[in-house]
Amino acid sequence: MTDSRPVRDGGTLTVALNADPDKLDPSLAQTLVGRTVFAGMCEKLYDINQQGAVVPQLAAAQPETSTDGRTVTVRVRRGLKFSDGTGLDADSVVTSLLRHRDLPGSARATELAPVTSVRATGRYTVQLKLSRPYTPLTGVLADRAGMVMSPTALRKYGKNFTNHPSCVGPFRFVERVGGDRIVLEKDPGYYDAAHVHLNKVIYKPIPDGGVRLANLRSGDVQVGDQMAPVDVRSALTEPGLQLFNSPSLGYQGIGLNVGNTKGLGQKPGKPGTPIARDVRVREAFDLSIDRELLNKVVFQGMYEPACGPISPESTIAPGVQPSHCPRRDVAKAKALLKAAGVRTPLRIEFKVSTTPESSRIGQVVQAMAKEAGFDVVLRPMEYATLLSETDDGHYDAFTSGWSGRLDPDGNISNFLQTRGAMNAYGYGDPQTDRLIERGRSEADPAERTRIYRELSKRVTAAHALIYLYRQRNYVVATKSVSGVAVYGDGLVRVKSAGYTR
Amino acid sequence: MTKYLLTRVRQSLITLFLVSVVVFAGIRALPGDPALAMAGEERSPAALAAIRRSYGLDDNIVVQYGRYIGHALTGDLGNSSRTGLPVADAIGAALPITLELSALALLLATVLGIGAGVIAAVRRGKPAEWFANAVALLGLSVPTFWLGMVLVLGFAIALPVFAASGFVPFGTDPLDNLRRMVLPSIVLGSGLAAVVMRQTRAAMLDSLSADYVRTARAKGLSQRAVVGGHALRNSLVTVVTVLGLQLGHLISGAVVTEQIFVLPGFGKLTIDAVFTRDYATLQGVVLCTSAAYILINLLVDVLYSVIDPRIRLGGAR
Repeated sequence: MTDSRPVRDGGTLTVALNADPDKLDPSLAQTLVGRTVFAGMCEKLYDINQQGAVVPQLAAAQPETSTDGRTVTVRVRRGLKFSDGTGLDADSVVTSLLRHRDLPGSARATELAPVTSVRATGRYTVQLKLSRPYTPLTGVLADRAGMVMSPTALRKYGKNFTNHPSCVGPFRFVERVGGDRIVLEKDPGYYDAAHVHLNKVIYKPIPDGGVRLANLRSGDVQVGDQMAPVDVRSALTEPGLQLFNSPSLGYQGIGLNVGNTKGLGQKPGKPGTPIARDVRVREAFDLSIDRELLNKVVFQGMYEPACGPISPESTIAPGVQPSHCPRRDVAKAKALLKAAGVRTPLRIEFKVSTTPESSRIGQVVQAMAKEAGFDVVLRPMEYATLLSETDDGHYDAFTSGWSGRLDPDGNISNFLQTRGAMNAYGYGDPQTDRLIERGRSEADPAERTRIYRELSKRVTAAHALIYLYRQRNYVVATKSVSGVAVYGDGLVRVKSAGYTR
Repeated sequence: MTKYLLTRVRQSLITLFLVSVVVFAGIRALPGDPALAMAGEERSPAALAAIRRSYGLDDNIVVQYGRYIGHALTGDLGNSSRTGLPVADAIGAALPITLELSALALLLATVLGIGAGVIAAVRRGKPAEWFANAVALLGLSVPTFWLGMVLVLGFAIALPVFAASGFVPFGTDPLDNLRRMVLPSIVLGSGLAAVVMRQTRAAMLDSLSADYVRTARAKGLSQRAVVGGHALRNSLVTVVTVLGLQLGHLISGAVVTEQIFVLPGFGKLTIDAVFTRDYATLQGVVLCTSAAYILINLLVDVLYSVIDPRIRLGGAR
């Protein structure tokens, strides 16, 4: 969503974030909130547009893939300059891609794992060799793995690049005061500087939604990112504020332990609980939940019910529309439990994080599941502890969510592939694994859509992860500001933003 | 006095060392893997192993402590595992903010608390005392977060006199600094003002009924000289003790206030470090807070003797 009222040049825009970003190093960065800051200063080889389609950004055109799918050629735009004044060419792209893949602790290593070699075949042409056809690569290069860092800055600062990030972007890094602010200023050397209006952008972490809203109302900040439904409702009554929103590509749901007995990344085992043993029990649990009602009660109806890993908004392989999600059916759930031969009420320990929203989800699920014959016991836990326990397999059920990726593979493979890097559920199914591999190597969009539809159906039927809802990205801004853009990836783009004339 | 000071400094250093051991072990005993907290949502066993290796988290705890204390002695408190910024810099940036906030809150609490306490004692049984008592009770009962939000609504949104958030150093723009610090100082200082008021009132009532005050009055001294010069001076020993103890609480109490007003002070730094399992930052802030407590206690003891020369430290005569 964008606001296209004309703006004047100059001014400082303060964007309130819901958390303090982690490292400002595209190879090491892990947080969603960090991606918003990168959107201001680090462009990528590809980006997404308002419709959610991948478009070239630092690249001159769409990537060219060889017929065997194992060679990808990326042509880079000419005349681009990093914020430190040095020029961007194919060698800079090679340096960055190899660093993303090989730097110890790189969060990009997994997504670039199929890349066996990267080399410059011309001053502005880069060739990537792949171990196997890997269609999600373009989507990957439209995220942090596609950010190109200044090789000069990398050489100069090494591990400390995080405190002196230098990329190509409308704004360049000025300073960071941990927990307080990240300051960017307009980069006069940016190729499209004529369309950049603001002099400065300040990103300010304000974790409390109420405080973010109070600051928007007082005018101390002009843009509030990731606003919670309750604050959005309140902001809507404010004449000086405007709302942007976009559907998210991720999902939120309940992870069930179906085979995690030895920890993350290990061979699935048999936990021995009724919920792990019998898919009918899991289906009964799923059928006991009313997704519409959950959305109304917990999120004031401002999110969207979900029942699959892929967002219906995905341009690559649209997922199931909320209206097609299965309805709550307590009678069927009871019948399934009876057929599975379990004694009711069946006790399930449900680990939820300590946030108010997570607790409310737990309570609503607890109340709904009770009617079908489940005794859901809530175990609120601090987030890092919850991750640690669930990765180790010490749980029955937990709140499991993902911010989402452009390519559907990013929402499925790591979670549901046997021994996948984030398969905390212990789910292992050879047919699912085969479909994941086919989805990754298939280039034809229509065929990919078919594969992901089948894959969604299969993983939904396994009920290892019960998809409940999809968040919407809500961004509130003061009406004095225009040109702020919010697309499907949920990032706040400030390149064209400015104060209205 | 010198001997006493040296003994106290030695005791303080031992305490600080013990604190560092307890903090180090305590933080590591917390449930939850710091590597997981650092890895965010994109965690894979390989990435987790790399994080553990790069932060030395897979070493023996004694080795980790040795390495930490060795660096800490040279002033290097390590780098934040989350942001990569040096912890010493983060503390250096956060500390002045919390100190300014605490100092302003303390100033407010002292002026209002002592003033109201004296009036309440001198005007005992009169409406002034009831009023002061009622306000003090309110100051003690109102939750910080609520008062903060109400003040923001009233004085930053409805009547935009003050800012709702953020910090500007006093040296950069003194007026803007005060515009941003007044509301948080009121929030933080209100509870303390109430405590100080009650302590002052009680101590003043004791003093005013003491023989030396009666003697002073008999000598024909003015009311101002009796209250200010005799009763108040003697009452201040109790008040200073309370203030000293409360100053430590102020620094830790600043946590909520800093969250409400988005002040990047010590409290906010601590909370962020806890939630992200940022060991290095957490250790740094706890060590600094402990050092501050120890120093304040020492200063309060020394202040006793300055206010009341009859108190001799270390048993010296």
